[in-house]
Amino acid sequence: MTSLSLKGVRKSYGNLPVIKGVDLTVESREFVVFVGPSGCGKSTLLRMIAGLESITAGDLEIGGKRMNDVDPSKRGIAMVFQSYALYPHMTVRENMGFALRFAGKPKDEIARQVNEAARILELGPLLDRLPAQLSGGQRQRVAIGRAIVRHPDVFLFDEPLSNLDAKLRVHMRIEIARLHRELQATIIYVTHDQLEAMTLADRIVVLREGEVAQVGTPLQLYDDPDNLFVAGFIGSPKMNFLAGEVVEAGAGSATVALVNHGGARLAKPLSGPLPETGDAVTIGIRPEHFGEAGASTDLSLAVDVAEHLGSTTFVYANAGGERLIIEREERHMGDSDTIAVSIPIEAALLFDAAGKRLR
Amino acid sequence: MSLALLRRGGVYVFLSVATFLSVFPFYWMAVGSTNQSPDIVRGKLGFGSNLLVNFQHLMTQVDLPRVFGNSFLIAVVSTVLTLVISSLAGYGFEMFRSRIRERIFQLLLLLLSIPFAALMVPLFVMISRAQLNNTFTAVILPGIASIFIVFYFRQATKAFPRELRDAARVDGLKEWQIFLFVYMPTMRSTYAAATIIIFMNAWNNYLWPLIVLQTPDNKTITLVISTLTAAYTPDYGVILLATVLATAPTLVIFFVLQRQFVQGMLGAVK
Amino acid sequence: MAQTRLDRSEQINGWAFVMPALVLLGLFMIYPIIWSLWMSFQVGRGANFSFGGLANIQRLANDALLIKALTNTTIFFFIQVPIMIVLALLLAVALNDPTLKFRGLFRTALFLPCVTSLIAYSSLFKSMFSTDGIINQALLTLHVIGSPIPWLTDPFWSRVVIITAITWRWTGYNMIFYLAALQNVDKSIYEAARIDGIPAWARFTRITIPMLKPVILFTTILSTIGTLQLFDEVNNITQGGPGNATLTLSMYIYNLTFRMMPSFGYSATVSWVIVVIVAILSFIQFMIARDRRRAT
Repeated sequence: MTSLSLKGVRKSYGNLPVIKGVDLTVESREFVVFVGPSGCGKSTLLRMIAGLESITAGDLEIGGKRMNDVDPSKRGIAMVFQSYALYPHMTVRENMGFALRFAGKPKDEIARQVNEAARILELGPLLDRLPAQLSGGQRQRVAIGRAIVRHPDVFLFDEPLSNLDAKLRVHMRIEIARLHRELQATIIYVTHDQLEAMTLADRIVVLREGEVAQVGTPLQLYDDPDNLFVAGFIGSPKMNFLAGEVVEAGAGSATVALVNHGGARLAKPLSGPLPETGDAVTIGIRPEHFGEAGASTDLSLAVDVAEHLGSTTFVYANAGGERLIIEREERHMGDSDTIAVSIPIEAALLFDAAGKRLR
Repeated sequence: MSLALLRRGGVYVFLSVATFLSVFPFYWMAVGSTNQSPDIVRGKLGFGSNLLVNFQHLMTQVDLPRVFGNSFLIAVVSTVLTLVISSLAGYGFEMFRSRIRERIFQLLLLLLSIPFAALMVPLFVMISRAQLNNTFTAVILPGIASIFIVFYFRQATKAFPRELRDAARVDGLKEWQIFLFVYMPTMRSTYAAATIIIFMNAWNNYLWPLIVLQTPDNKTITLVISTLTAAYTPDYGVILLATVLATAPTLVIFFVLQRQFVQGMLGAVK
Repeated sequence: MAQTRLDRSEQINGWAFVMPALVLLGLFMIYPIIWSLWMSFQVGRGANFSFGGLANIQRLANDALLIKALTNTTIFFFIQVPIMIVLALLLAVALNDPTLKFRGLFRTALFLPCVTSLIAYSSLFKSMFSTDGIINQALLTLHVIGSPIPWLTDPFWSRVVIITAITWRWTGYNMIFYLAALQNVDKSIYEAARIDGIPAWARFTRITIPMLKPVILFTTILSTIGTLQLFDEVNNITQGGPGNATLTLSMYIYNLTFRMMPSFGYSATVSWVIVVIVAILSFIQFMIARDRRRAT
């Protein structure tokens, strides 16, 4: 299978730039997810790859060939739409076979392809039904089937699970992951749900306001975010951010005073450029990384609410107006009014005032 | 790429030609009202100076204010009565369901396809017997129970939130009060669209007024235009001027209320 | 107990709201149509009539003018309605493009004819289509024709005038219906078709038109009823002529009732002819639509 590459791709509507320079390579058989908040341009980028939107500047290559001006049907792509876009007056079988009929394939060939796709997606008993007679999940599978029969080089998914209820979404996620393995396909998948991104992707592209915030594997983005935005976007519940001020910087480490926690300090070893003394920084720490009090950096917090989920407990606490979420496995955490935790240095992430990660 | 451009150009040409053909008669109408009849018949395209003369001729042949007044009166009364009776029925059919009334409603839909030509003879005999010849009452009455408008209101009522009615009931309102004080204000845009349809229909109505109205004093503007056109040597300057005057109100309504106009038509699509 | 009281008040209210309309409809629609049916079995002139059995129906068969009117109406129906619907569809599809410039302007202009009264535009057309009128002049100047066409005095051309007039008046109306239906279509269906490699003409015929079937059926039925009731235009532009070339059923009934010695019985019979035709045609059109849907 072929790879896809974006080089300096930009798009503007008149004077309004929406994609501000994206560089990306997608390897063959990779499952790449574009994720980001509403309006970040992920769907636009996908549609530019599909040929439904024009590319203002930069190059799109699929399989090594420049595809900027090529007709969508000739790019070797197939697309699954958020609204499924099934032809309402045709049966499932006709929906899946429609494109092949226009490619001039012989009838038995078409039937074979359609049956094969139906087998993969378990659509056999539904082949003669109309879309109106199908459930949301079934329609979604038909939309995927329609893409499969064309044997594209790249599959494009545009928020395919957004219209499904939560339970069905989990089920379909697994289906799509299974499909990826079985078809050995290159997939570009757009979603606003970071959970879908984390579970499905080989690599995630986090987009923000038309630019790439970071590209990496799910765990890379989780453990080693490049900036504040990615750190806060990936992971649920969100990473905790504490305001800090640099009191001392030098010799490969920076000491930060936590603004809202009295005298609590953190000394973080850094191998890269050091911040200046007096700089405002942010400390990021995930809810599950807080340690027992008495270790290094100790915090004492007032408990707002404790949510007991059975296997874990989320304690919502605050100090000096700063809200934190702490995750614990003990069940009776948070029955008292205060909670004391510590921040392990290795788990603490340091971000400068502009949101850039200091390593 | 250039094929797409060619197609685009073709679309613009197609639409422009269609637009020109659609709009030209209006220009013709305006121009004609300022010209003399022989010039019009010979196809003069430019504006002339005969407007006042045409107007004078029109005024001498026809009691213009009277005729306009007739049309207006009939249109307004028709509109008000039709709105009241048909919206009541549409609301009733939708809000108070019963099997018999559903059957009746379906029967009404069937009746929609009965052409007026099939009704005009018996209606004429009926009004003759009731000695209502030549009256406005006879013109207005048969039209006010309009199945189309009943249907239109029923469709629109489907979008009316039931909770409003329930809340009003809890507040102690009786059904007719709910209709008057809750339903009607909420459905203002539906009433607006329906008003436009009914008014225009009544204003432009020809065949039935032709059958009913006999004396020149009672004639409507459409009948007048028809009479002028049927003359042995029609004076087209006068005719087109009358046409301009007759079309002007509907044009004004159209341009001012364009959205409701289209909405009104679309509401009946379902 | 409270339940049945509520039910009863529902029933009373239900009837109360619809009664005025139903009474009026009964009086001005049902009663006339039944009277018409009864009347169609009566013969005689004016107020003197007596039962004539099937005499009127026999008269139908021998009525040359009726045959003429039926023929004309059929011609108008089979030529005018398809032309208008196809034209309206093409215009709606052309206007449905959101990137089109002057979209609102085009749409307004194309709908403008629907604002005119039938009489008004009939007069307009009559003045435009005179033998040395503007239409002939335009055609001569464009070298489309060599000599002026006798629009209103030739049987063939007078029919062309009527068909042109009706098409001018009603295409915009149908176009709006199609435009509304098109705008309810999920745009991603067309995008999916583009990606699937379906060419534009096929997108129109295999996707757009099937999806618009209900609306097309609706407008076809409306147009059918309209064509069968054709009166205002033929009465004012051609007076049914020349030589009854544009005589329509409605006009014939009108003439029978008001221009000749009134024979109400026979008029009623002819009226019922129209009802029967409309019913049959609507039924056929309905059946076609339903069968197609099942077959798909």
